[in-house]
Amino acid sequence: MFYMKEILKDILSWLEPKVNYADLRFVQTEEESIQAENGILFSHIVSTNQGVGIRMLADGAWGFAASNNLDKASLQETAAKALDIARASALTKKEDVKLASEGKHTDTYITPITKNPFQVSPAEKIDLLVKATRMMLKDKVKKSEGSFNFYKTNKIFVSTEGSEIEQTIFESGGGITAYALGEGDFQKRSYPSSFGGDYATRGYEFIEEMNLLENAERIAEEANQLLVAPSAPEGVTDIVLGGPQLALQVHESCGHPVELDRVLGKEISYAGGSFLTLDKLNSFTYGSPEVTIVADATVPGGLGTFGYDDEGVPASKSYLVNKGKFVGYLMSREDAFKLGLKSNGAARAVSWDRIPLVRMTNVNLLPGNLELDKLIGEIKEGLYLDCNKSYSIDDKRLNFQFATEIAQEIKNGKLGKIYKNAIYQGITPEFWKSCDGISSGKYWHIWGVPSCGKGQPNQFIHVAHGTSPARFRKVKVGASK
Amino acid sequence: MKDINSGKELVNKINSFIKNYNFEIIASEGRSELTRFAESYIHQNVAETNFALTVKVVNKDRVGIVKMNSIDDHIISENIEKATEIAKISPKLYYHYRLLTPQSYKIKSKYSKDIANFTPLNRAQLVKQLIKEVNKRGYEAAGAFKTEESTLLVANSEGVFAFDRGTKVDFNCVITQDNSTAYASFVDSDISNFNIKKITNELLSVAFKNVDQVEIEPGVYTAILSPEAAATILDYTGYAAFNGKTIMEGKSFVSHNQGKKIFPEIITVSDDPFDEFTMPIPFDMVGCSRKKTDLIKDGVINDGVYDHFTALKYNRKCTGNTLPPEHASLGALPFNLVMKEGSNSVEEMISSTKKGIYVSRFHYVNILNPMSIQLTGMTRDGTFLIENGKIVRAIKNMRFNTSVVDMLKAVDMISKEKQIKSQVIPSSGLVGPVVAPYFRTSNFTFSSKTSF
Repeated sequence: MFYMKEILKDILSWLEPKVNYADLRFVQTEEESIQAENGILFSHIVSTNQGVGIRMLADGAWGFAASNNLDKASLQETAAKALDIARASALTKKEDVKLASEGKHTDTYITPITKNPFQVSPAEKIDLLVKATRMMLKDKVKKSEGSFNFYKTNKIFVSTEGSEIEQTIFESGGGITAYALGEGDFQKRSYPSSFGGDYATRGYEFIEEMNLLENAERIAEEANQLLVAPSAPEGVTDIVLGGPQLALQVHESCGHPVELDRVLGKEISYAGGSFLTLDKLNSFTYGSPEVTIVADATVPGGLGTFGYDDEGVPASKSYLVNKGKFVGYLMSREDAFKLGLKSNGAARAVSWDRIPLVRMTNVNLLPGNLELDKLIGEIKEGLYLDCNKSYSIDDKRLNFQFATEIAQEIKNGKLGKIYKNAIYQGITPEFWKSCDGISSGKYWHIWGVPSCGKGQPNQFIHVAHGTSPARFRKVKVGASK
Repeated sequence: MKDINSGKELVNKINSFIKNYNFEIIASEGRSELTRFAESYIHQNVAETNFALTVKVVNKDRVGIVKMNSIDDHIISENIEKATEIAKISPKLYYHYRLLTPQSYKIKSKYSKDIANFTPLNRAQLVKQLIKEVNKRGYEAAGAFKTEESTLLVANSEGVFAFDRGTKVDFNCVITQDNSTAYASFVDSDISNFNIKKITNELLSVAFKNVDQVEIEPGVYTAILSPEAAATILDYTGYAAFNGKTIMEGKSFVSHNQGKKIFPEIITVSDDPFDEFTMPIPFDMVGCSRKKTDLIKDGVINDGVYDHFTALKYNRKCTGNTLPPEHASLGALPFNLVMKEGSNSVEEMISSTKKGIYVSRFHYVNILNPMSIQLTGMTRDGTFLIENGKIVRAIKNMRFNTSVVDMLKAVDMISKEKQIKSQVIPSSGLVGPVVAPYFRTSNFTFSSKTSF
């Protein structure tokens, strides 16, 4: 790492007189991926990946080039390429790009972990996954799958502003899924969450705390029950969203629309824009007074937790929605400057070969003060919906629709029979205004989402959402067919 | 790994490191550059060069896989040692693993020197030209312009050696003025077919019509899908229903409907690397040669596509659709979806529609129910109401919840014109573009509205 840092600093010195600003990132990632199906190992892959990304402002415009060739001569070529690119960008510039001010940081950050996942024997990890997927094969569950992924990422960041930051980030995660198969139908249940499970910036202790074996039979049983369950009823009703589903609701209907680059039109051709336009900041009622949402990259263990973002801005906590009022965006230095603000440390790149974009960190819905029994108990007729199966939202993040793996009837304050194929649909601010109760911190958990896609070239970044089950009134529900 | 000889050297080097085990390798090297613009200026402009090497060490029915992005001998040898250790201790696979034997390849990617030599300045100049024209009409432009060259090598210790080199240009743009928007895209392996003036005119022509949108009630409508919209539907259909692994597991619509004539005879959908419009690679990620597979033939559900592992497990034939090891658990996906052309023109479709909706583009499509291929998504960038044979006005965007099975059953017109469109499912990696015509269906369910 020391040798690499010295090369980066040499390249930076070469660039300094030629540019308005430059930063260099060396990123080295070690990854272990294990997959099992039906009680048998499917694959075990160990990967290493490293390279340098060089970003700069020259002639007032951006250029970026990245290479896996790490010798000094190759990196100097890469820097020269980035310079050419910046000069080409300047051909269409309207004004010089300016960055919000940021201090000079010299620091080191390492994810605190108890058990290094790369020092746990592969046999132990494989054995756990194989057992869990075998245990799910009950009755109509003819297919089960599970996966673990572990990452160790070393990063060095240096900039012409004098920052020198080294970080080592550990991430661990995984999950299991049971598929019950019937004639012309199948139903699935996942644990702890769908689409790969749950992830955290923690060590192997995170996997051990999941209690996969203790939950494997339960979700298999639920998958079997879903196969013979009726489809969810159609209509308008009160709902409670469980933690994993609420995490995705926060992700799609709050996390993305508060990304300032989307608001400024920078993603319009691909992922779309946002209804949270600049005129709405500090004046728009996003949700009910129950709803407070923060971006907090400092919370221990969150998958969006780090020391510094990829522009060298320290991790921070900032309010996005405060007691229902829309009060803040996720920002990069460039976009924050346009609002006369400082960056809140949300510019992140998935790897050395990608530029930092405005990304979620841990976008958390703060807990309320209700016991779960009371949250459900105050509903006469409704549905408890959990674990995402399908998601879609329009290009301004207003009209959303989610399908969940499982729905449970709520009648006179009690949970009843289960339904399959449930969907619910709404318009973002109307939906959040209908939130009249959030369960307490006792039920709160930060759900890791390892696959948030954005940008061209596409970047799948790791983010998280802290949630506890919450109640929404008069929501349109139905069933997929 | 710029040429076939450096590919052979790499294979020999790996062979010398592995010694006593069988192996498969995938090596790719590429240079990709992308200019992104929004609010009528270039706001992101990037280039990357990378190399990726995957080595699978095969110890009878046990395998170990390592992936790296360095050509350094020391790193390759260290990783191969790791893979060998994994292959020794791993539990056995659930099927007898057999390496593929040497194949012959009938197609190859197109390589254009013009694309390989295209510079950031070349891209910026074309973007500037487009911006200037749309600005004159009061519109802002946003989009992405990518040029790339890549080499791909797949080999194994049984003598499979597959080498390919190709280029690609991929462009998309949205223009906006308040709620008036339009979208256009272009993908090809040759940049000489790229005409920025034509794209600009196409964008402005749609945008001028897409104004003063009115709200209409959701419901079941006759819909005419543009090739862009049709390609999105086909892409998700291929993913949801025609994956051999999910078919074998009983998790696909095809599992229970193979051989049935469900759709009108005019519906034929294939995975066809030989189609004149598509951009094929000659082999899959174990070196199996790409083949044409009819997914739906003359309205009859035929079969899906199969990867090497699913084929081994279920005693099927690999169709040349194996994904790289990191995506192998998905099964197989069609790489070159093609919907067969019909005999109509889009003008005939519109003029013979009493009441219907024309869809330019879909947004954020997802699968609701894989067994009925029920999809959901939104319209964007130009949705129009057709009345009495004419496009009468633009309408606000709507959500659809519609079954592809029901939709295709009710197709009565398909255009003669076909277009090639980039695939839209971002995580499917190797999946190539989709070749789609316009088509009309009388059964398309719009389920809710949005405010713009």
